[in-house]
Amino acid sequence: MTFIRLGLWLLQRERASGEWRVLLLALIIGVGSVSTTGFLGDRIKRAMSEQGASFLGADLMVTSPRPIEDWPVPAVERGAPASRPLATSRALEFASMVSRGDAFQLATLRAVDADYPLRGVVRIADRPFEPGAARPAQPPPGAIYVEPSLLPLLSASVGDSVQIGEASFRIAGLVAEEPGQLGGVFGLAPRVFLRADEVETTRVLQPGSRLTYLYQFAGEPEQLAAFSAALKPALDSTQRLIGSREGVETLRGAFANADRYIQLTALISLLLSVAAIAIAAHHHALRHYDQAALLRCFGTTTAQLRTLYAVQLLTLGLLGSLAGVVIGALTQQALAGLILPGAVTRLPSLGLAPVGVAIASGLLALAGASLPALMRLIRVPPLRVLRRDLPPLPVAAWLSAALSGSALLLLIAWYAGDAKLVGGFVGALIGLVGVLILLARLALVAGRGVQRMSHGPLRFGLAQLLRHRFDSTLQLGAFTLALFLVALLALVRSDLIAGWQQQLPPQAPNYFLVNIAPHQQQAVAAYLSEHRLEASALYPMVRGRLVSKDGVPIAETLPEDARDTNTLRRELNLTWTATLPANNVVLAGRWHGERSADAPVKGTPVGAPPPSSDPSAAPVKGTPAGTPLPSSDPSAAPVKGTPAGTPLPSSDPSAEISVESGMAERLNLAVGDQLGFQIGDQTLAARITSIRSVKWDSMQPNFFVIFAPGQLDTLPASSIASVYVPPDATGVLPGFVKTFPGITVLALDKLIANIEAVFAQIIGAIQLLLGFLLAAGMAVVVATLLASLDARQQEAVLLRTLGAQRAYLAKGLWSEFIALGLLAGLLASACAEIAMALIANRLFELPLRLHPWLWLVLPLGGALLVGMSGWLTTRHITRVPPMQSIRALN
Amino acid sequence: MTPPDSTQFPAESTSALQSHGVVFARALSQRVTTADGELAILSEVELAVKAGETLAITGASGSGKSTLLGLLAGLDQPSAGEIMLLGQRLGDLDEDARARLRAGRIGFVFQSFQLLPALSALENILLPLELAGRADARERAVYWLDRVGLAARAAHTPRQLSGGEQQRVALARAFATDPEIVFADEPTGNLDADTGARIIELLFELNASARTTLILVTHDEALAARCQRRLHLVAGQMREAALA
Repeated sequence: MTFIRLGLWLLQRERASGEWRVLLLALIIGVGSVSTTGFLGDRIKRAMSEQGASFLGADLMVTSPRPIEDWPVPAVERGAPASRPLATSRALEFASMVSRGDAFQLATLRAVDADYPLRGVVRIADRPFEPGAARPAQPPPGAIYVEPSLLPLLSASVGDSVQIGEASFRIAGLVAEEPGQLGGVFGLAPRVFLRADEVETTRVLQPGSRLTYLYQFAGEPEQLAAFSAALKPALDSTQRLIGSREGVETLRGAFANADRYIQLTALISLLLSVAAIAIAAHHHALRHYDQAALLRCFGTTTAQLRTLYAVQLLTLGLLGSLAGVVIGALTQQALAGLILPGAVTRLPSLGLAPVGVAIASGLLALAGASLPALMRLIRVPPLRVLRRDLPPLPVAAWLSAALSGSALLLLIAWYAGDAKLVGGFVGALIGLVGVLILLARLALVAGRGVQRMSHGPLRFGLAQLLRHRFDSTLQLGAFTLALFLVALLALVRSDLIAGWQQQLPPQAPNYFLVNIAPHQQQAVAAYLSEHRLEASALYPMVRGRLVSKDGVPIAETLPEDARDTNTLRRELNLTWTATLPANNVVLAGRWHGERSADAPVKGTPVGAPPPSSDPSAAPVKGTPAGTPLPSSDPSAAPVKGTPAGTPLPSSDPSAEISVESGMAERLNLAVGDQLGFQIGDQTLAARITSIRSVKWDSMQPNFFVIFAPGQLDTLPASSIASVYVPPDATGVLPGFVKTFPGITVLALDKLIANIEAVFAQIIGAIQLLLGFLLAAGMAVVVATLLASLDARQQEAVLLRTLGAQRAYLAKGLWSEFIALGLLAGLLASACAEIAMALIANRLFELPLRLHPWLWLVLPLGGALLVGMSGWLTTRHITRVPPMQSIRALN
Repeated sequence: MTPPDSTQFPAESTSALQSHGVVFARALSQRVTTADGELAILSEVELAVKAGETLAITGASGSGKSTLLGLLAGLDQPSAGEIMLLGQRLGDLDEDARARLRAGRIGFVFQSFQLLPALSALENILLPLELAGRADARERAVYWLDRVGLAARAAHTPRQLSGGEQQRVALARAFATDPEIVFADEPTGNLDADTGARIIELLFELNASARTTLILVTHDEALAARCQRRLHLVAGQMREAALA
């Protein structure tokens, strides 16, 4: 008989005895929570990228100035017959004049097919500022849909006909909402949707016309990944591939934090189950020393013993992992259906990747956690059959540490996939284990004092705790670890949520007034104050393109692969102010406002008091978060087209600018560099004097480049203001549009609602993940308790034989467990506060704060949790008659 | 280890025992280091056991009986001296080679029975047979369970058996592989006098019919008296008593 068969046979026989149950249970809980996290995380990520897709209108979009005929091999129409081909839609975007009578207006026309948009919705309304109904973006033949702002410019209303080129179209509806609307914030020409098959009739397209072909794709993530990988090399520098995640940059911070949080939760559930498995494996090995010794007596070699136990572990690992995966899939199905459906339009199908990951990590965790125990088990001296007290030969500590350590590191690295996270985690865990052992010892010493003062079962329970100092330290450490990690993630969760909610204050500006001409400022202010609407600060804005660095064309200062960046491709919104905007932090250099504070400040508020003296408007000053979004201006050509010999800027060389840190990093910019900008037909140079970090998801004014006042003043600038319009006051807006036809009014309610939906989704998911983490924590507690069961039972039998009453023993056990839980809760509170202080800032960029309630909740929760599970695990030992127990123990 | 000095042993016995003997020990010492210094558990033990012979190792608690048994069976290594087991010099073998030597050729009976709690009576007997790779493992296990009178208890686990029954299963397990030597460590130590007597009967009956070499450790005079030879240990030193 091979030892593989023997191992399986023994495993099968022991299944009935329940020896393996603890280990298997720990494994199932571990893998179950990991796969739930994995499935859920995978789904959430995909749901979020769908949310992003609905902003973009597709999962992937390719823009090109020329039609693309040859698509790469996993081709769109030639998709493998087995799988559904990618859904596609084509649109053509160009600028053209729209006229009605004597009125002319430049508009951005998008000629769409019947499938546009592939993701998200287009809402068409009959009157301005109405929510409208979801409809295909393709109008009926002979009709167009227009952005409401076009109506006053042409003195038209819905139902009227307008002229585009040689064709006449009826305005069939108003575009109330469209995917990628945010991208159009500063596209000054209003949007018009027309049918792709009617472009010909307008005859506006001439050779040389500036066109943008938009190719949209939607499908399964794997398909899309393969497609975009094949597509990328085929695109030239004028063509762009946009993923759904780029659909809305405002949410980037929230996406990143949620991603990180999900990773962290998966990692911690996994580590907790590793702890549970390690405890169970150690216990299992302890109970199998005799078996191993006997097998050695019968002539089994080390290698055979290794095969035997490895086969058993592998079998258990596979069984536990599979069961865990099934449980994970079922649970997440139930829970995702419960929590996510309202937030997502279409729940993505279950990914297969998490199954593989969960099984592999279950096996890896089992190997890492049980190797030291297994190594001791196969090194049991055969003489143990004669002398029961003989311990197994010690395994070189470094060897087992190296084996387990590298397995765990592999797991952590696999999950985190981020060097910073892995490093932080490993360091923190090593430190934590050391601190926990020390604290647990100290706490037990302190417990001695309490024990002396107590009496009855309490005294007995505490004495038990102190007598088994090693076991108590282990249990206390394990409970503390479980409570600490659960508390930590709960804290990060509530801080994350609070952080997000702060970003969306209830009175965040929901409308933006774009393109306010200098001479209109007073009138706009008067109009708003007449209607009791409060506008934010007014930011002057000039559009310009970054062209050079220290006199060299900027593209040439960058490596080939870094040139393809949005920052260079499009015009930037340049502003000037002496006041550092809220949520901006100077990382390097010195804010120019600090030197020129006494200089006259442009961009003063419209009618409203200056931002600094307006506390109510403080968090929502200025322009929307949309500033860094790609402009949809179809005329924006890539910067590569700029001539190499850009004329050197002729303006004041002492001009100062502040640059956003991400842009500085992408373009390799540093304080002291001189940048050249092309603004209209003028060039302008300025020196970087500071680099700022910007909170993009703050819904506050955000600019890549801020000039010191005095540099751009002479250039033609329009301004931007934001205003909060309460839901009952939207009736004011049609009047405003009529009064100021040149000013674009943008409604951002939809965007804010979408952002809130994404946050709600993430928050719901995070609460779920926390529940599973709790289960993993429970596994540690239960595994630890079960491991101590034999010794407890032995003692209980002895004590009952010596005359201890059942109630006395029960109270003693309760006291012991409650004391353990209380202590663990206190230690966990301390650890959690410290860890929060360390990671909140670094990992999640959250403000530091203390959590006094933690010190109450954790010890009480710990006492309850450990007390209950302790009692449930051990209650039978006080009930079984001593004689029966003695026989069982023999 | 120094090479064996044949002058310490009668030339006749060395060669004869090496050719016919199954267990052969010379100048065997076992020392352990304790907090109080080095402690000699066995000193200079000389021993030769012929095939088919029965030997009782007796002595007070702590006299080194079990240690000697463990050394002779190759379960441990001596601090000094030399052991030949089934024609192999144990000092030349590593732990795994000693294990291979034991497989199927040596049986064990223990004071605490050492049955695997998860296995039934039959399966406990089956285990060493399976380990030895015997094709007729199951038939033999059934046969031996019947030999010890427990055919009706085949499916019972050790927990469902009395002490005497457990030791009978252990006896069946020890003899089932047709071993050349059976080592028994206090086989009646955990049993009452009556049960112990019945186990002794069974042990010697099985031993006689299988013509196995039996080396047992005991402080049970009745048991020691049944053996052909007796080795008495006093504080780790050998006092060979009268042959039976």
